[in-house]
Amino acid sequence: MRALRMLSSSVGTKVILAFTGLSLFGFLLVHLYGNLLAFLGPATYNEHAHALISNPLIIPAEIGLLALFLIHVFKATANYLNNRGARPDGYRMKKWAGGASRKSVGSSTMIWTGLATLLFVAVHLKTFKYGAVYTSVGAGGTEERDLYRLFVEVFQQPVWVISYVVSMILVGLHLRHGISSSMQSLGIMPDTRTALVLRTGLVLAVVIAGLFAILPVVVFFGLVR
Amino acid sequence: MKIHLKVWRQAGPTAHGQFVNYTAENVSPHMSFLEMLDVVNEGLIRKGQEAIAFDSDCREGICGTCGFMVSGIPHGPEPHTTVCQLHMRKFKDGDALTLEPWRSKGFPVLRDLIVDRSAFDRIIQAGGYTSVNTGGAQDANAILIGRDTAEAAMDSAACIGCGACVAACKNASAALFTSAKITHLSLLPQGQVERGTRVLNMVERMDMEGFGSCSNEGECEAVCPKGISLRNIATMNREYWKAILSS
Amino acid sequence: MTLDSKVPSGPLAEKWDSHKFASKLVNPANRRKHTVIIVGTGLAGASAASSLGELGYNVLSFCIQDSPRRAHSIAAQGGINAAKNYQNDGDSIYRLFYDTIKGGDYRAREANVYRLAQVSVNIIDQCVAQGVPFAREYGGQLDNRSFGGAQVSRTFYARGQTGQQLLLGAYQSMQRQVARGQVKQFPNREMLDLVLINGQARGIIVRNLVTGQLERYVADAVCLATGGYGTAYYLSTNAVGSNVTASWRAHKRGALFANPCFTQIHPTCIPVSGEDQSKLTLMSESLRNDGRVWVPKNTGDKRRAADIPESERDYYLERKYPSFGNLVPRDVASRNAKQVCDEGRGVGETGLAVYLDFKDAIQRLGHDVVAARYGNLFEMYEKITGEDPYTVPMRMYPAIHYAMGGLWVDYNLMSNVPGLHVLGEANFSDHGANRLGASALMQGLADGYFVIPYTLAHYIAGTKVEKVTTDHDAFKEAENSVQDRINKVLAVKGTKTPRELHRQLGRLLWDDVGMARNEAGLKKALATIPKLREEFWQNVAVPGDANNLNKNLEYAGRVADYLEFAELLALDALTRTESCGGHFREESQTPEGEAQRDDAHFSHVSAWEFQGVGKTPTLHKEPLVFEEVHPSQRSYK
Repeated sequence: MRALRMLSSSVGTKVILAFTGLSLFGFLLVHLYGNLLAFLGPATYNEHAHALISNPLIIPAEIGLLALFLIHVFKATANYLNNRGARPDGYRMKKWAGGASRKSVGSSTMIWTGLATLLFVAVHLKTFKYGAVYTSVGAGGTEERDLYRLFVEVFQQPVWVISYVVSMILVGLHLRHGISSSMQSLGIMPDTRTALVLRTGLVLAVVIAGLFAILPVVVFFGLVR
Repeated sequence: MKIHLKVWRQAGPTAHGQFVNYTAENVSPHMSFLEMLDVVNEGLIRKGQEAIAFDSDCREGICGTCGFMVSGIPHGPEPHTTVCQLHMRKFKDGDALTLEPWRSKGFPVLRDLIVDRSAFDRIIQAGGYTSVNTGGAQDANAILIGRDTAEAAMDSAACIGCGACVAACKNASAALFTSAKITHLSLLPQGQVERGTRVLNMVERMDMEGFGSCSNEGECEAVCPKGISLRNIATMNREYWKAILSS
Repeated sequence: MTLDSKVPSGPLAEKWDSHKFASKLVNPANRRKHTVIIVGTGLAGASAASSLGELGYNVLSFCIQDSPRRAHSIAAQGGINAAKNYQNDGDSIYRLFYDTIKGGDYRAREANVYRLAQVSVNIIDQCVAQGVPFAREYGGQLDNRSFGGAQVSRTFYARGQTGQQLLLGAYQSMQRQVARGQVKQFPNREMLDLVLINGQARGIIVRNLVTGQLERYVADAVCLATGGYGTAYYLSTNAVGSNVTASWRAHKRGALFANPCFTQIHPTCIPVSGEDQSKLTLMSESLRNDGRVWVPKNTGDKRRAADIPESERDYYLERKYPSFGNLVPRDVASRNAKQVCDEGRGVGETGLAVYLDFKDAIQRLGHDVVAARYGNLFEMYEKITGEDPYTVPMRMYPAIHYAMGGLWVDYNLMSNVPGLHVLGEANFSDHGANRLGASALMQGLADGYFVIPYTLAHYIAGTKVEKVTTDHDAFKEAENSVQDRINKVLAVKGTKTPRELHRQLGRLLWDDVGMARNEAGLKKALATIPKLREEFWQNVAVPGDANNLNKNLEYAGRVADYLEFAELLALDALTRTESCGGHFREESQTPEGEAQRDDAHFSHVSAWEFQGVGKTPTLHKEPLVFEEVHPSQRSYK
């Protein structure tokens, strides 16, 4: 009981945020792997999707993922509101301190890029997971969902491409602070390699968001069809 | 030089505050920022007006008494410098500066640029010590402490408790202050016995005082007159979950 | 009045132990029935509060700062002495005792100094147990350095922040007692009067500096640990809030003030740069280990340092004191700096500075070694002056740094007023006429951790006190007198700020009661101070009222006290016609121009009894008896 109460302290909250955030980041990597299979053609892509969908562990995994996601969102929002309450009367003039500060556009907008991501995920699930169901026959002769076709169809429409690219920029901003910050929150930021971790966080954010964003673009321009 | 000042004036804790404009004339570049304010105050007192209330004591950057926002940055633009050690040669003739008190739920304004920082004392009361009574200590050299460990502990112990970290943080978090003491004591053999309870109790107290949580932006480190590192906060976080797991 | 020092009999080395045994004790169960007031939270006050709290007394702790952690002990840089002999270089309790009594120019009590040296070893143990991060050797043992020309390495240090770390250790221990409810702390409170009931110190009147209200507190005993009076000189290395008010108001209630003329001047401070300067910054004495002090040979030489050829430079300390050179004691270095500046050979814009040059050290040791030794000091210097000491010699000038004088106390640290104990720099006891480097921290902690717990118990156990509350007439009378004085200050509504008056007083004291004193100057000061005091009461400007946070009102009250105290300072200096330690009377010097003591007439403590403002105080003498050491003339040639 005491442990639970402690997890809701300011530090406990940040530890949870970091832990769930890093887990979600892990999920993103897995997701990205699946997306990139699109470059290898419909068969590989659908086969991977089928393997995931047909795995009996998918339901508990999804529930777990949802839980991580909801905890992250809930804790982050509560944390944001609590932090706002810590300075009821704001400064009339406030500047970035520079120097050793790690403040960035990403770090200043975490709650907003996070909530935007929440919205994006909802739309994203509606569009794909609960979108049109096409079927095709896979390599083994079994019938499997043709997600590839849905994916190509969606990204032939400019409005989807633009909104996806924008969303990925927002996700990238979130990751830009989130990845390295979670190391700090968990207290596993190495003492002597802090700058490296910060830089790696930035590079990972750009690369991951970029790779996610590039697929809709290449589909739209017909480079993948 | 001539410096234009826009200063927060607030007669008391519950009074309504507002900015008032002043001009500091004939400012010498050798003056410290507080000496410049002393001169402005002398002028006000001679006119029968109440001086701008600001606090200071040692005026050499170690007691942590002074501190306010100088145009949006705690202690002003010079890194690793308290406002008493900030010199006017860092400014140009005709500069316009805005002076505001620290603002945080944990630091209520008492008057003008002075805030109540007793919350820091209460955070220390929650566990920022080793529980040893006077008298029973063993010989000082009976416990060996590596030079690097002692130096690292000293880095954390150098905190002067001025509150600039809270002032700079967008969440008005006291994480840097609290973690510096936790880290100092967790590094040393003397701090081991109460290591777990210390971090749990001090964090609990920090939250009770109304300070926010740490967003790992490091504005605190950037404005800290003693350059206390964000590493302390990472240490506090690690100590915290370790304490929970072992409790 | 006869001054009884209460020094125990017996051999010097056994006095403290036998005294502890002979002292009465308070039963642990009874301690909670006793309340002790401690004013000031520096090393002495905070260590006393934590120790007495641990023992079970109810402690009420007061400080003028917004937190006990900010007391001026925090600014001490160099270190703390202790006779640990960890370096195997011949140190011992006796040697620390001997060095301290000799350094004080034989104007301190032997028994007090010996006890100080004895408990010095316990202090280090205690501080280490608290987690004070002292500097360490690679093998993990404590590091020591030699300080202020000492022949042994007995100084423990935590970078250049030893005072800060020791104070935080004491402060944290005290906060632990606050959490336990044993200590109640009252920050932002200024003691404005001492309350005596049946002749015993039983309480204080304080002003709450935030609300402006006067408050009364009652206790069984009162401890003052309110520091020194260096800011009487306006510019000093003390914090701008340091003041003599608590001590002075106690003096006005009957406590004797001892040796006020014993003030210490620190030779290496950053010189004054302008009229509006509020504070002087000390640069660690360690700089003189490698820096060479010089001025131009010719008066009025205004060339840049780099343009003055070697042949036209006067390395006057090396020339006059070939064996000690730049490392002569503080008072000698200071007086010589003043002398060359008085000759018109001072450097810098004001002509009130000497060079401290690192050019040769950089050539000999290399830039990196010099940076490792003094880098942080050089940085601090550059921050303040805007000049880079690696390329331009530092400019240095002496400044008031420490007050050896203070309220008179006996061996038990109790003043002549029963129940009023005085600790740390606020008392006069252990440093004689000159304090050695790294000894102030030692004394503050010795008094608070290891002396007062015993001697206060002895007082409490052996004294009957009347049961009173703060409604007692004595409290009313004291509060009224405090209120009257505040009203009087506010009623003047003049045109001169307290700072202007303070600055005037400071200049007067610096010129005539400063590094070198003579009869004419002291008489001039004694004639001028009352006029300045009169001007204060006719023309001081204090806008606003007393019922809120009013910094200028606080300041005015302190300046008013300085204007009374300064007269005593000058009078004591005039009366003591010998030179000793930090007190240099120009009439009393050796043919070589060194301080000449007059043991036949002045081997005593001068303790002054207040007779009224503007009235000549009564002098009481406590003879100093030397059983162990034989006073000799200091020589550093």
